[in-house]
This record gives sequence, structure tokens and C-alpha cells, in this order.
Amino acid sequence: MADNNKAVVDIDRSVYDIKDVENEQDFYRMEDGFTEDIVRKISEEKHDPEWMREFRLKSLELYNKLEMPDWGPDTDDLDMNLISSYVRSKSDMKGKWEDVPEDIKNTFERLGIPEAERESLAGVGAQYDSELVYHNVKDEVAEQGVVYTDMESALTGEYADMVHEYFMKLVPPTDHKYAALHGAVWSGGSFVYVPKGVKVDIPLQSYFRLNAAGAGQFEHTLIIVDEGADLHFIEGCSAPKYNVANLHAGCVELFVKKNARLRYSTIENWSKNMYNLNTKRALVEEGARMEWVSGSFGSHTSYLYPMTILKGDHSTMEYTGITFAGKGQNLDTGAKVVHQGKYTSSLISTKSISKSGGIGTYRSSVIINKEAKHAKTSVSCDSLMLDSISRADTIPGMDIRTDDADVGHEAKIGRISDEAVFYLMSRGLSETDARAMIVSGFANPVSKELPLEYAVEMNNLIKLEMSGG
Amino acid sequence: MDINMKVNHLPALTYRFLKSNDSEIEIKDIKIKDTFSPEMQNGQDGVSVNKEASEEDVRKLFDAVNAKAESKKTDVPGPNGDTAPLNDAQSVRTGMGAQIDNLMQEMKVPVTVITADEGCKVSEPVMIRFDLKDGDCVLGNQVIHAKKDSEITVIMEYDSEPETNGFLGIQTRLLAEEGAKINLIKVQMLGEKIAHFDDIGGVCDDKADIETINMQLGAGNTWGGCRVALLGDKSVFNNHTGYLCRHKQSYDMNYVADQMGKKTESNMVFRGVLLDEAVKTFRGTLDFKPGSAGSVGDEQEDTLLLSSDAVNRTIPVILCGEEDVDGRHGASIGQLGDDTLFYMESRGIDEEAAKKLMIRARMESIARMIPDEAIIIRIQQFIRTIL
Amino acid sequence: MSEQSLLQVRNLSASVEELPILHNINLEIKAGETHVLMGPNGAGKSTLGYTLMGNPHYNVTDGSIIFDGQDLTKESADKRAKAGMFLSFQNPLEVPGISLGSFIRNAYHEQTGKPVKLLQYKKQLAEAMDLLTMDGDYADRDLNVGFSGGEKKKAEILQMLMLNPKLAILDETDSGLDVDAVRTVSKGIQEYQKKKDGALLIITHSTKILESLHVDYTHVLVKGHIVTTGDGSLVEEINEHGFEKYVRCEGCDGCSPLN
Repeated sequence: MADNNKAVVDIDRSVYDIKDVENEQDFYRMEDGFTEDIVRKISEEKHDPEWMREFRLKSLELYNKLEMPDWGPDTDDLDMNLISSYVRSKSDMKGKWEDVPEDIKNTFERLGIPEAERESLAGVGAQYDSELVYHNVKDEVAEQGVVYTDMESALTGEYADMVHEYFMKLVPPTDHKYAALHGAVWSGGSFVYVPKGVKVDIPLQSYFRLNAAGAGQFEHTLIIVDEGADLHFIEGCSAPKYNVANLHAGCVELFVKKNARLRYSTIENWSKNMYNLNTKRALVEEGARMEWVSGSFGSHTSYLYPMTILKGDHSTMEYTGITFAGKGQNLDTGAKVVHQGKYTSSLISTKSISKSGGIGTYRSSVIINKEAKHAKTSVSCDSLMLDSISRADTIPGMDIRTDDADVGHEAKIGRISDEAVFYLMSRGLSETDARAMIVSGFANPVSKELPLEYAVEMNNLIKLEMSGG
Repeated sequence: MDINMKVNHLPALTYRFLKSNDSEIEIKDIKIKDTFSPEMQNGQDGVSVNKEASEEDVRKLFDAVNAKAESKKTDVPGPNGDTAPLNDAQSVRTGMGAQIDNLMQEMKVPVTVITADEGCKVSEPVMIRFDLKDGDCVLGNQVIHAKKDSEITVIMEYDSEPETNGFLGIQTRLLAEEGAKINLIKVQMLGEKIAHFDDIGGVCDDKADIETINMQLGAGNTWGGCRVALLGDKSVFNNHTGYLCRHKQSYDMNYVADQMGKKTESNMVFRGVLLDEAVKTFRGTLDFKPGSAGSVGDEQEDTLLLSSDAVNRTIPVILCGEEDVDGRHGASIGQLGDDTLFYMESRGIDEEAAKKLMIRARMESIARMIPDEAIIIRIQQFIRTIL
Repeated sequence: MSEQSLLQVRNLSASVEELPILHNINLEIKAGETHVLMGPNGAGKSTLGYTLMGNPHYNVTDGSIIFDGQDLTKESADKRAKAGMFLSFQNPLEVPGISLGSFIRNAYHEQTGKPVKLLQYKKQLAEAMDLLTMDGDYADRDLNVGFSGGEKKKAEILQMLMLNPKLAILDETDSGLDVDAVRTVSKGIQEYQKKKDGALLIITHSTKILESLHVDYTHVLVKGHIVTTGDGSLVEEINEHGFEKYVRCEGCDGCSPLN
């Protein structure tokens, strides 16, 4: 209790709001908008191989053809002509923390990134605007053959063929408008390969920071966990608040091979001017397991539904998510799963909190194909409304095509009970603290899935939101 | 004429690939033969019937409640992908939506208005039976108006011989004034060559109560929609739907409870069985509007899948713009559970017999709520025949 | 083995989801005999009941179950029921839409293949319900839906009386019942024992239900082994001293669990 209270005092969102003034000498910024000319320039700037340049141009064509979905949050205020597709520091990526430019280093240090690396991570990547500025893997992990590098290096280095084989095969640019956009202007992100049978005991982490006003971040994450291997990957995101819209249209492709396991945890805390239109997808082979832990706190608007394809027999997935929609936010989040293999199982469990006019929508789809005999799925989504000017909507969909399936679905919506608040107040808590405590308890199934320091960060974010910050 | 309509709009759109945002009724070259409602089988005290009402009359009937609904509008935005504007033109919002109104008006279908007098508890159910002969294509439109503190039960039964060809489209709208109660029961046992839609829309004022029971047992392609606005404080909507789909039958539903008043209650139960190559799409929405403080809503769907070729789509939605509510939905879809089967088998009932027993149990648990013994027996016979 | 043996369980081992629960069980029940199976929580008592009745969750890994001369080890539960075996469940199934009366009629019809003589059936049902002090209305209520714990147990015993099996396995039929209900259920069991000469395997961890019943044999099951078998007096001994002696015995490495 005492510790929790201390955390309330300690939290201060201003840490995420540090803005670095990017002067023209140190930063290269692409002109705003998305045209063929711009895409060619990015490709040149990044020394793409031939196939990648073609890929980018084809994706751009698709982007121009595809329509915005009619079902999600409104994106009318996102003017694509005012978004810069590419901003980078003129300094190259560093392998040593000391070598990262001072201003960028300061930002990350205030966010606690290098500290976390020293204490509990196997490797860290840090992306600042469009490019990675720092990348490091602990020696003992590298010695096991684990590859953790930035996408650009992977594209031309030793793993070039592997990247070519997997890049945007799981999330093709045809998937939707922003997947196409990503294909055209992607930059940065991480490539991870865990060889057969290698178990990485401590997590790898990427941290994404979008600092430039009116910029887009389009990082690509490609992770291949080979047969029998085991990995926990964490991503964190933040950005300072600006008055103009920023755009994040990243793409995460995860390949979990036979009997492997991948846990992918995200704490997303983009600033509240961010349009977060992110696509994440995992392909899970026989006997393998995919675990998602997802906390969505930031952004102005989110479309985020990590998708799992349970391709192999006996493959499993578990999705645990929480979304906190506060003032001015329209967060449309959830999960998708496709059961293809026999004896596959999925477990989706989400919590959603709406406050101060925020709109939280839980959206999901569960598809069980005809071949997926003995598939089992269980979905449970709870929403909490904290006032009557907000919205909490639950829109799940299921399409079941085999009788040999076991499908369970539960959803609840409600409020904080007056009795519970009264009980805690009778033990000496203020009403605000009592409500914050109840909300933390509501979020507990998610926070307990996170590594300790992230769970603390998440609780701090909840307290910050609850105190009306 | 050709019928081509988009109906059963999900109140809030979702992913297009789920193909459940709406449904299309497409029937080519149809000759609508009858556009009237059949004779009521029993007239009684306290009930009056006007068989020639126009849509204009209906609109006037609902003027007062529509004005009240208008006054409850707030600034809280609608859900993402809100489809409410599509049906803004309706006199009463129905489950299937505005295009049914358009068809009825285009075909000049007269509306039968059944009115229960103020304070009158009508003792016997009003029976309306559509018995389709081969080639019949029929549209019918009714309004059931329960005046203040009255109670009325209407049972509508749709029958035909098994091999009959045809089409039957019905719209039934309900107005329950303060303290009134409407029980609407629909039993559909049409032959499988008949295409059918059944559209219901209702409004409850303060302390009013609408109870619906739907038994869907026959027809080929069936569309069903039911939308009830719980406009008044402490108003109630209860629905029980039982369906049995087999062969290539399809059943596409859209149920919505719009909870607008304070302390409203909705409870919707769906119990069904899918056999052979049947296709079912279920949309069920609890919509807690801002201002519906103290309201509760519950929606339970239970589907028994008894064929590996059947398709089951389920979209159970909860929309919420009010803090002080308690809403929940649950869905359970699958074949007979191992525990169920083991219990049955331990009593000597083998798997085939257990399946039949469970189909009958499901249908009967809903049918039994109908206050008319003769219909319950007809339903039992119908189920026995097809099993 | 002898002709009159109704149930012969030989070297039976069973597991649940690959976890072995029962080890090398041997048990023989003759027609009309009453056996009691006791043991501490988690010993595998209910597993034995389910395995005998053929619950597909329980895997027989070794041994056989011979019932009335037939090898039923691999047969499904309905075949076992038709052969004359009955299991009273701890948590019986609830079926909305099918009444208790109609369910029993269905089961009777399935087991015998004969049409049910309605008048005679109704009379029998009424008598059996009377014996169990069940209100006649229960026959028309949905199977176990909204029944209290005690009513569910009575409904199980009612089915036993109506279906008239050769062997009834009663799984914790007394648990959660008050004194009066135990007495009533016990009366039903006596009726089956005496008038119908039915064999019984009563699984219990208390002794309340056995007070008015004649017991031929008592078996003690600990950690999946039958550690001792005695006559009816063993029930009283356990009543006084508990299972401690047997638990310790089983835990001791130098001592065979079958001693």
C-alpha cells in the first residue's frame, strides 16, 4: 500500500513530454506527404536492394487504391499530406550507449531505458523517429546464436535472404490501407532470429520514440523463433505531445516455429495526438505457443488487433490486454485469431476502462475453420465505465465452421460499485485513491503478466489517468 | 418484381471479412399476391381492430414516443461505425430496418392495427394464422397498440405443407404505453421451399413490458429482426428465441435492445440447433444509451452444432454510453459436451438418442412458454416429424 | 473366476490426461452384495466410479472390467448401462426442456428397448417418489434445473430405483445433505438393496449414510491403491480412527501397499 501511494506521487507524465527541438543541422526530414517521389527518395536514402524499392512502389500504388475502413474510429482529422514519412538524426546507429548523441541519449535516459537494459534485459534496440539510434545484445545471448539487429542491417547483411523470404508475407500490403502505406515507407524496427532450441531467459526489448512533430513512424519488426526456441520480446512506445497529428503505422510479423514459444509484450504510451494504426500478426506452427500482453494507454486514435494464425496442430495462443481510454481518446483495440490446425486453443482476456469522454471499443474476431477439429476458444472481455460522458463498446465476432469446437464467450460491462468504494474509504483511503485502487485491481490480470518494472509503469499510468492528469 | 434489400444492419459495423455487417435479401421475379392480414381467429372484448390503416396513421400513433425519444438525445458520440442513421426514417425502428418499410409502402400493404383498450387485460390470446398454399407470396403488416395499463397477447403462426413454394414477409410493430404489456409469440413452421422474413420493432413507455417468443422451425432462407426501444423508465423487454436449422436452411437475425430510460431491463435468450449444412448468423446488441442509469441487460446465446458442415456466425455486441449499468452477454457454441454425453450414456441413452433428446429439450424449453397448449403440441409434432 | 461374480475388476490402472490416478485395482462384487469404498480426499474414489462407468476422460491404461460375464473395459457408458450398471453422480446434469419424468421414461425405453406402459410407469414413479419424500411435481420439472443439492441426489436415487440396475455405484451421494435427507436417501438405497437384491458400491468419505445399511465389504483407497479390505466393521473403525493409519502405511517405502 505504502509503495503504491509513493508511486502516485512519483508519477509525472511530463517525462514522456520532453521535446527535443530538432535543428536542421542535426536532423534530416523528408518533405510531408506520400508520393512516388518521396518513396523513391526514402529508398535511396536507405540504400534498399532492388526488390525492396519495387516492393515500396507497388505498396504505394495499393495505398492509393485502398479505402479506409468504414467500421472504426474516425480519422478525418489525420491529414496525410501533413505527415512526414521519414525523419532521422544525422548520426548513425550506435552499438555503445556513450556514442548516442547527447540530446537523444538524455531523452531515453529520462525514460529509464539504459537502466532497464542493465538490470533485466538481454538486448535493447532504441528507435528515435525513423531510425534506430542504438542497438545492443548481451554477449552471452549473442553467443547462443541469437540475432537481434535493426531491419536495415538485416536487409543487406548475413540474413538478407531470410528477410526477403519473410518480409510482409504475413501482413501483405494488400491487407489494408495502412499496411500498404507501411510497405511503401517503412523504416527502422528490429529483426530477431532465435535458432532452434535456444531459450532466451531474459527479455529483449525495443523502445520506440517518435519525437518529431507531424512525423510518421513506420518501423518493421520481424521475429523468427525457430523450432523449440523460446523468446520474450518487449516493445515500449512513447512520444511527446504536439498539437499536430502524428502517425504510427508499424508492422510486426512473428513466426513461431514448431514447439517454440514467443511472448510479445507491449506497453503503448504514445502521446494523445498520435494516430496508432498498427498491424501485428503471428503465424504459429505445430505445438507452438504465442502469448500477447498488450497495454494501450496512449494515442489519440488506435486501431490495434494483434492477429494469431494457429496453423499447426496443437498450437495455442493467449492474449491478455488492457485499454484505458481517457479524454479525447478513441481506442479501438482487441484481438483476432484464426484456428486452422487441429486441437488448437485460444484464450482472449481483455479489460477496458473508459473515462472523461474517452471511447474504448473492444473488437475481435474468432474464426474456426472446418479443418480445426477439437479447437477450443474462450473469450472474456470486461469493460469499466468511470463516468457517463464516455463510451465502452464491445463488438466481438465469431465464425465457427466445425461442430467439433468448444466456443465460450463472455462479456461484461459495469461500473465501480459504491459498496467497494465505501469499504475502502472506511479503511481510510480517499475516494480518488479508493477508485484508483479498484481500477488497478481490475487491471491486475494484465499487470501480473508483465515483468515487474513494466507492471509498475502500467500501474503508474493508471494512477496518472485516474488522478485526472 | 425483384426484391433486393439490405437488412439486419449491425448497430455498429465491424470487420468486413466477417460478412456480418448486414444481410441481403435477393428474390427474383416474385408476384406478391396478398398484402393483407388474415381474419383474426377470435375477436373479444377490449380489443379493436382496424385492418386498413396507412403508414401515415402508424406514424401518428408513434408521434408521442418519437418526440420523447428525440428529447433524450445527448452529445455523447455514437459507437465507431454507427449505423443508426440508416434507419432514421422509420416510424419505429425495427430489427431488419428501413428497407422493409420501403417494401411495405411500395407494395401498399395495409396495416392492421390491433388495439387493447386502456386498463383492459385481454384474457385470451389473439390468434393470427398465415397458412400458405403453393405459390402464395404474401406480405403482412401489423401494429399492436397496448394502451395505458392494458395487457394483450398475440400469437402469430406461419404454416404450410412441407412441399409448398412461396414467400411470406411480415412486419409487426409494437407500442406499449405506460404500464402496458404486450406478449408477442411467433411460431414459424413453413415448408423449406418458402423464403421468409419477420421484422419486429417495438417501443416501451414507462413501466411497460414487451415479451417476445420466437420459434423458428421451418422455411428455407429466413431473416428475422427484432428491435425494442426501452424508452420509458423501468420498462422491460424479454425475448426467447428457439430455432432449428437443417438441410440448407439459413437463418439471419438481428436483435437489438435500445435501453434509453432509467432502470430498464432487457433479457434475451437464444437457443438453437444447427444440423446438416445450415447457416446461421446471429447479431444481438444491448445498447445502453446515455441516461439509462440503473439499467441492466443480459443476452445469452447457446448453440448446439450437430454437423461439421454447418456455419455459425455470432456477433454479440454491447454498446454503452452510461456509467451506471450492468450489461453482460455470454455465448456457448459447440457440440454436446462430454459431460452431458457421459451422463446420458450412463443412463443407457446412446449418442444418437442423446442428440435427439437434447434437440427436443432445447426447443421445448422455449415452446413451453407459449400460453396455448394446442400450439405447443403442434410444435412437438413438427419437431418429431423432422427428427 | 466364479460364476456368481457380478463385477470383476482386475489389475485396473487408469489415468486422467496422462496423470496416473488408479494403480492396479482388484475388486470383486457378487450379485446383491454391498461394498463400501472409503478413503481420504483425492484418493481416486470418484475416478474409480467414473472409470467403471466408462467416462471417456478417464483412460484405462491396464487391466480389465468384467461385468456380468462381459468384458466392458472398452465399451461406452451406454453399453455399460444397458448391461445393468448405474452411477449416481455427485453433480448430475441439468437439462432445461426435458422433465425428470420424461427423462427416466426415455432412459428406460433406451435400456429395455420396450415401450413404456404409461399407467404402470406412473404408478411406480409415484411410489418411488413417495418413498424418497419427493413432491410429485418434481416429475414435471426440468431435469435437475433449479433443484437443490438434496433434491438432485434424491433424483439420482429415484432413477436408480426406476431403472433397476444390477449394480449401482453411488458416488458421494451423502455429501452436502442434512441429516433428514441422508435418512431419506438411505431409505431409498435400502429399498434397492433388499427388495430388488441390487448390488452396491458406495463411495463415501463419511459414514452417515451407512448407518442403516448392511455392508458386506469395505475397501480403503489411498493414493490410487486399495490398501486394505475388510468387512462392515472396518467402517466403524475408520469412523473412530480416520485414515491416518492407512495413509502412513501407503507412504512407507518398505511396505507393500496391498498388505
